[in-house]
Amino acid sequence: MLRSLSLFLLALTLLFMGGLSASAQNGGQTLADIIARQNGQIVVPTPSEGRTVTAPALNGPLGPLGAASDSDLWRALRGNNPLDVTAAPSESQVMQRSGQLWRKIREDVIRKYAGFAPLVVIGLLLIYHLAFGKMKITDGFSGKTIPRFNHLQRVSHWFMAFVFITLGMTGLLILLGRPIIAPYLGLEANSIVTSAAKEGHNLFGPLFIIALVWMFFKFIKGNFFQWVDIKWMLKFGGIFGGHVSSSQFNFGEKSWFWMVILVGIVMSITGVALLFPWIVEDMRLLQLSVILHGLGGMLLLSVMFGHIYLGTIGMEGSIDSMLKGEVDENWAKEHHDLWYEEVTGKTATEKSDTEDTK
Amino acid sequence: MSFLDFVEGIFFQIAAIIFLFGVVWRMVGLLRIKRRKDISPPKASAAMGFIKGNFRHFIPRGIFARRTWVHLVGGYSFHFGLLILIVVGAPHVAFLKSQFLGFDWWVMPRWGFIVASDFAFAGLILLWVRRISDPVMRLISEPSDHLGTGLTFVVMLTGCLALQESHDFLRAMHMMFVDLWLVYFPFSRLMHAFTFFLSRGHSGATYGRKGINL
Repeated sequence: MLRSLSLFLLALTLLFMGGLSASAQNGGQTLADIIARQNGQIVVPTPSEGRTVTAPALNGPLGPLGAASDSDLWRALRGNNPLDVTAAPSESQVMQRSGQLWRKIREDVIRKYAGFAPLVVIGLLLIYHLAFGKMKITDGFSGKTIPRFNHLQRVSHWFMAFVFITLGMTGLLILLGRPIIAPYLGLEANSIVTSAAKEGHNLFGPLFIIALVWMFFKFIKGNFFQWVDIKWMLKFGGIFGGHVSSSQFNFGEKSWFWMVILVGIVMSITGVALLFPWIVEDMRLLQLSVILHGLGGMLLLSVMFGHIYLGTIGMEGSIDSMLKGEVDENWAKEHHDLWYEEVTGKTATEKSDTEDTK
Repeated sequence: MSFLDFVEGIFFQIAAIIFLFGVVWRMVGLLRIKRRKDISPPKASAAMGFIKGNFRHFIPRGIFARRTWVHLVGGYSFHFGLLILIVVGAPHVAFLKSQFLGFDWWVMPRWGFIVASDFAFAGLILLWVRRISDPVMRLISEPSDHLGTGLTFVVMLTGCLALQESHDFLRAMHMMFVDLWLVYFPFSRLMHAFTFFLSRGHSGATYGRKGINL
């Protein structure tokens, strides 16, 4: 893991510095390669398999200057400037070497580790749920509710949720189809699924940008960090017991909001670059976009499962806020006491009117 | 006969016949409903009320516009997006030409198809999340409302998933859901595509006859 992370950081540095060294690009020479070449063949290594291409054999003895060497050929294919990886291959280069490293990062880091991060989160949530169970409202439902989210906030939330989940599912299929679907269902099935997922992902991408902007304006109020959030953070949000004060949104909710917005902006920019690759002149930016898009997507997806868990089966009464727009008073007192006091004018320690009449 | 041949051929033809006969049957049934004759003297033209009622409902009254803008934007976005996709979407025109008509007309470029799809999807999702998040809408919604929305969504989604036209399987999936949608259409709330003008017109004619300014 540490090795892969180091590799990723090194790769990013190299991408910005102008590419890899020539030796890393050309790969090592083996005896088998040399023999094959002398036999009139050139072995072009690929990550998965060797591909053999027939090349013209040398005719007659070499002169004092020798024959055209392979390095001349490869240099020509790269556009005569080994350090120039900025141009698109179609314009002046047949190949550019940073693509090899990009592919290695995608396969060895993102696909191997980040791709499975959501599963790890689901596992952790399962363990937590089995160990601690559902977070109940201590005093039970009071039967009295207070409004928490208005209709437009709920619509924008569910709109985002719908688009987000669609993008997440299709994105996972694109990323993990090759290692998960292809070995079991075959390459043809993987091709079908990937083709469909790619079209779906491209189609829903623009909707994510709309949803992101809409959500930002609908939820920005109340999502600025406050001092009380530090106390909340130090007590881990009370998931291991104890009461933690919170305003309308607690530290976890605020962090999730800003993560969605900020990572969402990165996802949007990189997504547009990948959707319209001709608007990006520097090939390295496209490769970086793929890496950032993959990592950002995995991060959002992973945290999303925590969000869904707490919003549904993890916490009693929380789903009402997004389904009905109202929450039980006791829920509000327990989880958002400062907001409860602000909205109702009562103190959170008071018993509700219903409880008083019991 | 491959599955694609089946869903594009005989199944599609049967579905289209059910759709056409079903729609005609429902419309004739609605028009033949007997109404008690209104013997009160008319204060204005019911026919004009019928027409005005139809056009007047295309935009909300000022006092409601702010409260219903999601419904308005979602509704227009979905319906216009879908209409454009069906009428000038290249794959649809190509299908109609090869299977039935033998001629074609102007079609959108690929980017136009994607933009129209985005409008249609955004509208449909908006309308549905409004349905589930508004307490009143949730209360008056029936399973058939969700089924109709879901089926329409799946038809659109499978169509867009097949947009690359790289696999017959994806095209066959789309056509299968199109066929199911056509069969389900006349017996569901989807019929509002044909009955909306009768509904609006009936209200318009009733109020128009009473001299109420629509």
